[in-house]
Amino acid sequence: MDKDTFRRLELLNQLKLTETEKADAFAFFGSREKERLALDKIDTSSVERMVHVMPIMTVVREDVAVQKFSREALQQGAPETDEGYWCVPRVVE
Amino acid sequence: MKYETVIGLEVHVELATESKIFCSCSAHSYGSEPNEHVCPACCGMPGMLPVVNKRVVDFGMKAGMMLNCHINRVTTFDKKSYYYPDLPAAYQTTQWFAPVAVNGLVEIETSKGKKNVRIKQIHMEEDAGKLVHDIREDTTHVDFNRTSVPLIEIVSQPDLSSAEEVEVYLDRLKNLLRFAKVAECEMAHGTMRCDVNLSVRPEGSDKYGVRTEMKNMNSIEAIKRAIEYETARHIDAIENGTEVLVQETRRWDDIKGKSYAMRTKETAGDYRYFPDPNVMPVVIDDEWFDSIQDSLPEFPEVKRDRYINEYGLSEYDADQITKSIALCECFEEAYSVCKSAKDAANWIISEIMSILNKRMITYDMLKINAHALGELILLVSDGKVGRANAKKVLSDMFDDLTIDPLKYCEANGYIVSNDTGLVEKVVAEAIANDPKAVADYKGGKEKALMSIYGKCMKELKGNCDPQMLRTILIDAINKI
Repeated sequence: MDKDTFRRLELLNQLKLTETEKADAFAFFGSREKERLALDKIDTSSVERMVHVMPIMTVVREDVAVQKFSREALQQGAPETDEGYWCVPRVVE
Repeated sequence: MKYETVIGLEVHVELATESKIFCSCSAHSYGSEPNEHVCPACCGMPGMLPVVNKRVVDFGMKAGMMLNCHINRVTTFDKKSYYYPDLPAAYQTTQWFAPVAVNGLVEIETSKGKKNVRIKQIHMEEDAGKLVHDIREDTTHVDFNRTSVPLIEIVSQPDLSSAEEVEVYLDRLKNLLRFAKVAECEMAHGTMRCDVNLSVRPEGSDKYGVRTEMKNMNSIEAIKRAIEYETARHIDAIENGTEVLVQETRRWDDIKGKSYAMRTKETAGDYRYFPDPNVMPVVIDDEWFDSIQDSLPEFPEVKRDRYINEYGLSEYDADQITKSIALCECFEEAYSVCKSAKDAANWIISEIMSILNKRMITYDMLKINAHALGELILLVSDGKVGRANAKKVLSDMFDDLTIDPLKYCEANGYIVSNDTGLVEKVVAEAIANDPKAVADYKGGKEKALMSIYGKCMKELKGNCDPQMLRTILIDAINKI
């Protein structure tokens, strides 16, 4: 991992690290990177992919539309509404 | 130096389900009040758990099969971090690690010949809500009716190289998905949207250039213009150094005919995808897989060949009808009644398509009682109703699906009269009133006969067997 990528991850994950913590983390990720590269060299093409750690599957529902909630009930906790809309601080200039 | 354009498309298609992907709210909000079709789940309220709509998976698989994809029999949902008010949970539930369909292929044919476009993957996901910025100056208004409406995103490999290829590819996708009835695919309605990824490189090079993305394009004409503009901009930057190309997302302004930088392009890392712990893997067993495979429609080109070989249609007629599954269904139903493929095709191509064009209705939005159309065609071919009057009935059939053609023609006096006495009387009057036309016809001018014929047919209000009128008219003139 290069330092730019590390800085990017720090920003994305909203972390504020001291210089010592940064150096430790950078070294840690660097060593993990070597392990990852070593794992990548193993041929797993004949191994069935594991998509979930538990042997469980989702339930599905039939495609039937039902309206169970009123807008008024859902908007009770809204800081502000207007003409049926939720209102948020303006997001475009 | 010669350059080539490299284009990959991400096409979002709204699936034609009744309810949303993870909750039971209606997926149809057109014309509804804001936030009328919402619940705690699609509003992203804490603690609400998603429940997968089976038909979304059905349609995802069906779309994958139509596009020759491999179907992942265990497919999973993931969270894509995305913080914006149109997504109340602050993440989108989508598919990243195991999408429903991968490694497909779509064949297209342009003026340069046939070409295969590889499909990287098709994944199922939820749509975002709608933001309205022009109600008040200080506020953005949020409508969650569209939130969690099911989409599939069809991601192509960068195999396209011109605006023409993109247009043909999108038409092909639309046609296949409409035949499978998984989606409306109407760009004007927002049920099909497209992100265009484009780069330019020296012709023959195997290295990609700097890629830019234009998001949410919703008109094929705009997409074509945007591709031409971006291609020219990239080449200008490379050749003349007019600007430094950077990987970014751009907004296309179709009125100004220009693209503008919006933001630097996100990469997968920015979204911090991770498996959604609230949705367990969807396991597609053999029974489910087979039921979808068995429900696949006849492909458009297979149908086209059948129409030519089995029904004897011309290539042109077969091409026209297989443009749309709605036209095909109308044709097959009308044919089953009138038993004349040629007549059924003629009525659809010359009359129905003309009415649709005049009313600015797309072929796929055709709504007509095709059984009644077959009966109407039969009335005309049996000589019971004149074609001109039948066209009036057809037009009315677009507005009233309950019309019974025979009863309607009887009620409106459209049934052809077999009263030869009446026809002879009308012919005699027409001949007496136009001696010049009679003389011209006798002098060898065939057109003069049609002039008198037309007047007679008008007098009879179209309710006369054309052959009978012609015979009586010629006999009457020959007797003079």
